[in-house]
Amino acid sequence: MALHLNLLHEEFQEQRQRQRDPLKIGMMVLGGLGALMFLYYMFNAYKTLEIRSRLNAVQHDWSKVEPKVTASQKRSAELNSIIGTTKVLDQIIDSRFYWAPFLEKLSRCVALNAQLMSIDGTVLEDNRGVNVMIEGLAAGREPRAAAEELRQLLLEQLGQGYHDVKVEFKTLEDLDTLANIGGANMAMARFGLSVAFNPSASALKGPSSPKTPRK
Amino acid sequence: MKKLNLTKDQIQKLLLSSIGFIVLLYVYFTFFLGPLNRSRDSMLMSINDLQGKVGSSKNEMMKATNLENQATAATTRHAALKASSPEGAPIAWFPPRMKAFFANQQIDKATARLEGSIPFKEADLADWMRYNWMLDLPQTDFATLGKAVAELENTEPLLSIHRLHIHAAADDPQFQQVNLNVATVMLKR
Repeated sequence: MALHLNLLHEEFQEQRQRQRDPLKIGMMVLGGLGALMFLYYMFNAYKTLEIRSRLNAVQHDWSKVEPKVTASQKRSAELNSIIGTTKVLDQIIDSRFYWAPFLEKLSRCVALNAQLMSIDGTVLEDNRGVNVMIEGLAAGREPRAAAEELRQLLLEQLGQGYHDVKVEFKTLEDLDTLANIGGANMAMARFGLSVAFNPSASALKGPSSPKTPRK
Repeated sequence: MKKLNLTKDQIQKLLLSSIGFIVLLYVYFTFFLGPLNRSRDSMLMSINDLQGKVGSSKNEMMKATNLENQATAATTRHAALKASSPEGAPIAWFPPRMKAFFANQQIDKATARLEGSIPFKEADLADWMRYNWMLDLPQTDFATLGKAVAELENTEPLLSIHRLHIHAAADDPQFQQVNLNVATVMLKR
């Protein structure tokens, strides 16, 4: 067996030492990792650029649509407001109490031997009802009966168009004065009638007809 | 297994390499990948948001078109009701209008007095006001009054008579004096 003398023992030792230098290995590992990370970063950056271009396209689309949408929204709000306002105004219009039909009915009830001196009518708040005070004179052999006839007629006539009709005497008194009707002297009575009714059903029927009432 | 014998110098270098590795990771995630991902996420969110908006905008525009078609009657009616309130203060045009109206109905010397105005509580009527008026008709007969009231109620939809007072004229019982308390709904001018 041949004898090998390693005269470069120390140099080999140094070379091996250099080869397994942790700093050098670490730097190489770091370099490798850095390269991988850089590649991954570039891949992500490319994807991000792609997304940015998609975003630009969508923004462009939106910038074209946005004015139309804003105008549509504004118009919708305006239309909703108009619809709401018209609805409320229609409710106000529909819930009105029409006096003309009432005056017409009243004129039908007043006979020749009766005369109305005053009519004072009020629509209660929220159209919950109507109160009317009627004052007048009745003449006849039995003036009180003439006044009662008027009351009955009013009750019947108003009952046809309104609800919860009440017609009551507030005052009914004989007068000393006589009235001349058809050449005959008749006794007279003064009466005050309180009329109350609920027009809700009739108020919804619609506008009044311009018929000619008479007194 | 071969035991790894490291010198002090090597351990120091190994530690230095480890620190360098940690610093590299920190810098990479904090200053490079993190902001990039955040930017990408925010862009994706913006895209989703905008696409949602674009998608809903079509519905929105379709709704507006449908509403426009459905609201034709309401818009026409609203325009007509608005037209019943001329430009200018109501006190300037309503009394002459009433005077002319009653004169047309053969009732002369009609006067209208403004008693007050109140805004509506309803949000839908924010642009409208309720005006209360007192109409005085010094001389009329019952038949003429009846026709006039019917005509008034038919031609003035936004006017309602709240109180009506008819009393015989003292000097001529054939004629009556009439007071009407009316409320009108008018556009704020």
